[in-house]
Amino acid sequence: MKSAWDVRGFSAVFYKELRQIMRSPITFFLAIGIPIIQLLLLGYAIQTTVEHVPSVMYRGDRGHAAQAFTDAVNASRTFNVVGYVNSREELRAAIVAGKARVGFDIPENFTADLLAGRHPAIGALIDGSDSAVAQIAYGSAIALGGVPLRAVSLAPKFSLEVRPYVLFNPAMRSADFFVPGLIGMILQNMTIMLTSLAIVGERERGTLDQLLVTPIGSAGLMLGKLLPYAIVAGIDFVAILITMRFVFDVQIVGNLALLAFLSAGFLVTALGLGLLISTFAQTQIQAQLMSIFLLLPSVLLSGAVFERSLMPLTMQIVGLFIPLTYYIDILRGIILRGAGVVQLWPSIALMFGYGILVFALASYRFARTTR
Amino acid sequence: MSGVAVFADRLTKRYGDRNAVNAVSLSVPAGSIFGFLGPNGSGKSTTIKMLCGLVHPTSGSAQVAGFDIEKDSDSVRRSIGYMAQGFALYGDLTVSENLEFYARAYGLGRNAEKRKSNVIEIVGIGPYAKVLGGHLSGGWQRRLALAAALIHNPSVVFLDEPTAGIDPVARRDLWDLLFTLTAAGITFFVTTHYMDEAERCSSLAYIYLGDMLVYGSPEEICALPTVTPNGTVRYAVSSNDVMETFRRVHSVPSIREATIFGRDIHVVVDASEPKGKLARDLSVLDDSVAKIPPSLEDAFVALTRASAASQ
Repeated sequence: MKSAWDVRGFSAVFYKELRQIMRSPITFFLAIGIPIIQLLLLGYAIQTTVEHVPSVMYRGDRGHAAQAFTDAVNASRTFNVVGYVNSREELRAAIVAGKARVGFDIPENFTADLLAGRHPAIGALIDGSDSAVAQIAYGSAIALGGVPLRAVSLAPKFSLEVRPYVLFNPAMRSADFFVPGLIGMILQNMTIMLTSLAIVGERERGTLDQLLVTPIGSAGLMLGKLLPYAIVAGIDFVAILITMRFVFDVQIVGNLALLAFLSAGFLVTALGLGLLISTFAQTQIQAQLMSIFLLLPSVLLSGAVFERSLMPLTMQIVGLFIPLTYYIDILRGIILRGAGVVQLWPSIALMFGYGILVFALASYRFARTTR
Repeated sequence: MSGVAVFADRLTKRYGDRNAVNAVSLSVPAGSIFGFLGPNGSGKSTTIKMLCGLVHPTSGSAQVAGFDIEKDSDSVRRSIGYMAQGFALYGDLTVSENLEFYARAYGLGRNAEKRKSNVIEIVGIGPYAKVLGGHLSGGWQRRLALAAALIHNPSVVFLDEPTAGIDPVARRDLWDLLFTLTAAGITFFVTTHYMDEAERCSSLAYIYLGDMLVYGSPEEICALPTVTPNGTVRYAVSSNDVMETFRRVHSVPSIREATIFGRDIHVVVDASEPKGKLARDLSVLDDSVAKIPPSLEDAFVALTRASAASQ
């Protein structure tokens, strides 16, 4: 009976596996090229920074407070005035027709009413079909409300200035949120896909029994299978990081060495998960289906694309069982907020714990099912 | 180890309530070729896998190369070579790389290079050293697999259907190679479906539905009473229309057994039945009926039928 912790034969398997990866340059190129292409495609596609929302305006008043508001709307990056209309009906029609997402309605006698202290209100009709756009437009429209008050210096006591200050991602660019998430997601998909085929591939080709009669240990086989792919994934990581920095212009605020070290930890965890799948699957097709079953929820629930704090509690708990969740937290922490071990230690500890558990389970299952 | 390479004592493997291998006992002398025969699914591969330490026996015990397969599996691993069914090496690695991998796997260290050139010479695969495993012909793939199984200089080598699917010339060459190696003291434990190969083995075992039916040299097996029961004689009946003659067999009460072999029908007949009457009953000429000794195939067919009938 072989022990699950027997590491003999590691170097034999390692060299063999590395040779087999290098033997097929197309596979090697795909393993490196696909992640970069994916990052470019997804990084450009997913844009939630809301800018230049097409807007129309009805001006029932042309006084200087009304003019100040009009100028402010025109000057903002959020709104882009595409036309002025002559009635409230036309304002509504423009939104229904999809020509504009927002319609500003400056009521008659606005300046006069403001000066008289009668609290006139500027209407903002917002198209709610895209909730993200609508929310940004809503907030920006309220913020613009301060403008006419300031224009009317006679009423300083009504002055209400909202001055938002955004931490960490001052431009509120979505790339800063998404690209680090995509890094985690792409690295995970690549590694799990690659290693899930590792053991089952030997089983399907009939080479597994021939391996098992040698003194190669269970852990030796697992590590030897895993590390060559870890090297490929490491190259992926560097390429993706360069793309992030120079194509998407996302600065790495924190410590690069820490990021690299923790990323290596994540890769080993993800590879271990792939190996675990490989010990369950009887065929390569089964292994791929299991990978996909695992990948989709991890993309959705880990926070790579959607903010975890906005999810229902049960889904947040499910997310805690996904190693990617911890890595995404680490990625954003280091890249965007400049966090270190002190701030990130719970995620770091859980991620490494997960990795060791997964690897032990894979090695144990392998040692048990093959004897 | 007193000249016994493989010794099994009531080795049993049970899957659920089915006995895949039922109390198999055998003893293979060192330096011989042991043939392990039986229909597909009869337990041949399971027995080999138990002896190689790939499968745990449910009960019974065995020693291979003098080491207990359960208590000393590490020593067993180092003393045995195993050639799995089909091509079980890496098609995307060259002959030389495949052998290097196994040399490393067995931890040969500094001896690796020497052992590699040694086995390359033994199986004569030198000219193909740089060819990918997947590009070799079936016969050369088997030779490569044999080289890999020999890399760590094992004393016992298990070959699971080593000649299935390769051409007759490559098959004969491989067997000649096995005989050469037995002279160097290596013991081969071979499963096969080919009777001509079985006849070349020094001893044989025949396993059917997990039970070992017979065990002995080819001559001993052919001489078993079950093969040619007392009071019966075996004839070969040749005929121009084998199917027509075979149909007539059923109307002759004295015929106990009949099997078609090409243009011949081998029949087991009551000894009291005169040869001439048999020829007339089957509508063939007198001289197309000839008394024959049982072949190994006759023996195994008879043994399998007898076993199936008793169950």
